[in-house]
Amino acid sequence: MQNLEQRVGKHCRFSRFISGFARFFRRTWNGMQKRIKAFAFRFKDGSVGTKLSHFVAGAGNFYHKQFIKGSLYLLLYVGFLYLMIFSPEVNSTPIGFKALINFITLGTEAGDIFTPTDNSMLMLLFGVVTIGIIFIYVFAHMSSISSSYKADLDVRDGRHPSTFKEDLNDLMDGRFHVAMLTPALIGIIVFTVLPTIFMILIAFTNFDSAHPAGQVLFDWVGFENFANIFSGTGEISVRFGPVLGWTMVWAFFATSTNYIGGILLALLINKKQIKLKKLWRTVFVITIALPQFISLLAMRNLLSEYGPINSFLINVGFIDQPIQFLANASNPWTARITIIVINIWIGVPYTMLMTSGILMNVPADLYEAAQIDGANKRQTFFNITVPYILFVTAPYLITSFIGNITSFNVIYLLTGGAPTVSGYKAGSTDLLVTWLYKLTIDESEYNIGSVVAIITFIITATVTLISYRRSKTYKEEDAFQ
Amino acid sequence: MKKLLFMLVLAVASVSVLAGCSGGNALVIWVGSESQEFYAEKMDLYVEEYNSTHEEKFPYKISVLAADTGTAAATFLDDPEAGADIFTVAHDNLGKLTAGSSAIAPVTNPDLLAQIAADNPDPFLEVIKASVGGVEYTFGVPYVAQDLVLYYNTDYITATQVETWEGILDAAIASNKQALSLTGTDGFNNSFLVLARNAETNESTLKIYEGGVQEECYARGDDTVAVMKWGQRFFTHPNGAKAPTDSGWETELHNVISLSVIAGSWDFGPAKAALGSKLGVAVLPTFTITEDDAYGTVEAGTVFQSGTFVDTKMFVMKKNSEKAAYLQDIMLYLSSKEMQEESFEEAENLPAYKNAPIEFEAFLEDTVEAELARAQVEMFQYGMPQPFGYSTKFNTYYYSKGAPDLIMDILENTDDLFTEDSAILAQLEIIETIWKTGIRPE
Repeated sequence: MQNLEQRVGKHCRFSRFISGFARFFRRTWNGMQKRIKAFAFRFKDGSVGTKLSHFVAGAGNFYHKQFIKGSLYLLLYVGFLYLMIFSPEVNSTPIGFKALINFITLGTEAGDIFTPTDNSMLMLLFGVVTIGIIFIYVFAHMSSISSSYKADLDVRDGRHPSTFKEDLNDLMDGRFHVAMLTPALIGIIVFTVLPTIFMILIAFTNFDSAHPAGQVLFDWVGFENFANIFSGTGEISVRFGPVLGWTMVWAFFATSTNYIGGILLALLINKKQIKLKKLWRTVFVITIALPQFISLLAMRNLLSEYGPINSFLINVGFIDQPIQFLANASNPWTARITIIVINIWIGVPYTMLMTSGILMNVPADLYEAAQIDGANKRQTFFNITVPYILFVTAPYLITSFIGNITSFNVIYLLTGGAPTVSGYKAGSTDLLVTWLYKLTIDESEYNIGSVVAIITFIITATVTLISYRRSKTYKEEDAFQ
Repeated sequence: MKKLLFMLVLAVASVSVLAGCSGGNALVIWVGSESQEFYAEKMDLYVEEYNSTHEEKFPYKISVLAADTGTAAATFLDDPEAGADIFTVAHDNLGKLTAGSSAIAPVTNPDLLAQIAADNPDPFLEVIKASVGGVEYTFGVPYVAQDLVLYYNTDYITATQVETWEGILDAAIASNKQALSLTGTDGFNNSFLVLARNAETNESTLKIYEGGVQEECYARGDDTVAVMKWGQRFFTHPNGAKAPTDSGWETELHNVISLSVIAGSWDFGPAKAALGSKLGVAVLPTFTITEDDAYGTVEAGTVFQSGTFVDTKMFVMKKNSEKAAYLQDIMLYLSSKEMQEESFEEAENLPAYKNAPIEFEAFLEDTVEAELARAQVEMFQYGMPQPFGYSTKFNTYYYSKGAPDLIMDILENTDDLFTEDSAILAQLEIIETIWKTGIRPE
């Protein structure tokens, strides 16, 4: 019976998941239809100027004698046409219409010792940039049409079309959020969205050490690089599973040990019997005050094969031979456990500080009410303190887990991925991100690196979404308001 | 108004940041950080001389910048347009620099080609060439040579003991220390064994991309097996050689955990810091095959000389540089015999010039630096230039596809898997396949 219920529950969850997707696409489609209808209506309903604006940006503004605004739109229009038609070159690679063709071919001129080779990497990049420019321009052009149509409506309603000064004042006052957010939005598109799309696209090419940009053309290869993960041969196939497995193990232990350790430490320091609370907090915070890489390098030196800790253990007769804390190839778990322990030392103070703050803000009346109801200390702790901390720190816990999946410093500075696995670049303590670094920076295998980055992103995004949506912080968002 | 001002300031700041990203129009030269000051001074003199002998002044400002010569090629290839007009790289980078249609320009100036041919040892003349589009060109202008030597602790190892690995091992046993530390286990640092050759004939059956041909690799000769067997005894002896640790070879040398280290001139500073006045420099020692190591035609008593890869650092120039008309004359000046001698005296760059040991006075001085120079030159006769410049694949296959780890597995007899000759031979066959194909057979 219970089994049946579980199966029904799973089925319901799956149905909800599918219907969620369907709802998303339905809404998007409806939204698009609405916009197309509005677009058609504006064309039909608008003045001659607005109609002209559909073909020449700014024409409607000129029609309504909004000369400055019209000039700005026209300038943008001319600039866009110039860029698209004449395709000016940067580093001998065109941006504009030609870039769209190059985006498909990724170059055709193989070059020779005296003539340059088409730079496939720049062609891919400029193709993405050109598509981005087209999107931004379409947005600007639509704004020109809207502006003209708004002027039409003003005239119809007996008002005068707004002057440039009035528009500027409006932008600095009523629509100040637009003025402030537009540069930020453009920044996000230029510095985040476009590079991310570029990086994703590299995963579908053969851009690697055998195809250096500007010397050898590279090409689209479809899903070949993703298929290589499952081919059974080569580094990416053999080492992907173990590296992914260790990444998840690391993320789990690095997060949970720091979280639990930090809470316990905070509870301990907050106990009434503990004196010199500020001093204890300061002592633990010193770890944060030091740059993390210095702490990590110091720990690496302390724990090295001939470092002070081994020397001390040998001198007091505790061991005969030095322990390879961070480089024991015969048992990689020695290094893995050592790293997790060092990470506790580095990470616990953060959780301790945060939890101390939370503990000091737990409403006292909750405890008083519990006391009146006859709850003992254990019950108070598990039914008030823990839920309260969990409620407040759930987002921190999730971001901490994600941060640990992509934690580069700790691994790179402590072991550099060692102990090595004979014959492969990815060592026993390499995480997906440190392996990614080796693949791209050391080996120039950009396509494979991009595949690893995409998979890392899928894992982190999935874990974040699922865990956050299941947390009380999300479900009971209004509880604190 | 305040908001408008704020927006203007924001816009001006953004434009300033973007404008700051653009560069100037100087003729840029990248050299090793240790030589930057030296070559900057020399280029000032060059411009002075140019201006006094030409009607028109030298048209560009010359900017000599310090670069990591180990990564200069990769940095240049990341963005050749932004790269230096002339830069210095080790010759084994030639493959990746000339892949496809090449990112660097060939040398065409007859005077420079004549100077290169006259001043350099024959092996160097081969490795500075590469084929592009089926035509062979000279791309590099050698000016520095480097190989591996032995740094050792003179308190523990005598001048006689340092001539053989057996002598060094005896010294290590007597003091209960390790005989040797390594700076790395990569394909370059294991060359002291992999490239070991019969001391009497100065020959080895080992082939690595001979003649620039991918298939011309051979690692299964009797001598290679015998050397591996000897190496295994050396590495598994409690006082023998040890693989690198996370403490670093400098600590091991300084704390007298090890008595010697195989390293290059680039490690001279750290070695001197570790041992101070106790630092000795010697050519890599010989070793003698015993009954335990004898294999096939290699009998007990055969003496082998440790080998090394020999590197030449060379100047190369950017393809399609706007300043192309001036670059080859500058390289002619920078790689001249006189410049190499001054560079050795002032910046301790070991010259590539073939007659340096007999013509350069500084070679004869009684200093550790001169001793290092002599040891390096002596090692040239037991070394071979890294043969990876012919193709970008060779370097990757040799260094990055796992072969060095498999060699270390033999030497350390990992999991006791390599006690039998047949196991060593099988492992060498796998290594040979990796060298040829880049693929590790299952």
